[in-house]
Amino acid sequence: MSAVARPLRALDGTRQARIVADGPEDERALVLAAQRGEREAFSLLVRTHERRAYAVARAIVVNHEDAEDAVQEAFLHAYRALDRFLPDQAFGAWLHRIVANAALDITRRRKVRDADELPETVASPFRDPAESSELRSRLQGALAKLPARQRAVIVLHDVEGFKHAEIGRMLGIPEGTARSDLHYARSHLRGVLGSVRSEL
Amino acid sequence: MTMEQRGLELVRDDDLTRALAAIYAAPPEAAYWTALEQRILARIDAGEGEDEWWSVPDKWLRVGLVAAGIAVIVAGSLLLRTQTQASRMATIESAVDSAATDAFEVARRGRLTEEQATLRVLIGRD
Repeated sequence: MSAVARPLRALDGTRQARIVADGPEDERALVLAAQRGEREAFSLLVRTHERRAYAVARAIVVNHEDAEDAVQEAFLHAYRALDRFLPDQAFGAWLHRIVANAALDITRRRKVRDADELPETVASPFRDPAESSELRSRLQGALAKLPARQRAVIVLHDVEGFKHAEIGRMLGIPEGTARSDLHYARSHLRGVLGSVRSEL
Repeated sequence: MTMEQRGLELVRDDDLTRALAAIYAAPPEAAYWTALEQRILARIDAGEGEDEWWSVPDKWLRVGLVAAGIAVIVAGSLLLRTQTQASRMATIESAVDSAATDAFEVARRGRLTEEQATLRVLIGRD
């Protein structure tokens, strides 16, 4: 988690101390302040968690725009539900479940809307043309054909470093299912990778 | 290739992981994240972070559901009780009507007086 240094004055009008939201205690203080309605505290929580939240959403949805929507919806939902959050829990884990639900919801709505026009590839909005390669485009095609859950599991595990249990909680599936999804996703993508390598 | 089979699970392939990381890379610019944070906070300030006027807090929703369940059970048992009573009354009335008709029919034929017929109805004998 990146350190975020901010004057505590906005959180507490009497103290001039500084807060660094990089430990559980500081985060707990931020959550408590946000629960009291202090906007700056919630702003700090957004700043601290938005990148990781984006990574979770991006693993589930097919493009950057949907990931961004999911992150926004998730933070709005988290703000609404903040009074039900127990500050002794891990805020990140709670938020990630909300983000995953928002992303899954967007995926479901998109599936209904785009039933007849499946994307050819998983869109990558920050694609550098110089990096473009046969492997990359084939991989994107293979990812698009992978079941959404398997795609989410391999990205969350291999790219974002989440554990099987954490992924299971986020996606609402048993840990063993996350493990087998990872196996099938790796196996499928390895096949694509292998065929590209043998052709190049 | 660094991927290999280890038991049931395939171990991570570094090339694959790198390719996936490139595809799923988050925007690197700090300005992007600042703008996203501002959009989220602007939506909260605009009232989107508040509960909708028609939404019901979970706690009250649970209380409401329990109350509705109890009301359904009470109404159901009252209805059942009323129906049972009505059915019992209908049976009694039917039996009384039938007995009265028979008794007065006998009386009309002259074998019983009206007083005897009334008495038979009251004591429930045919």
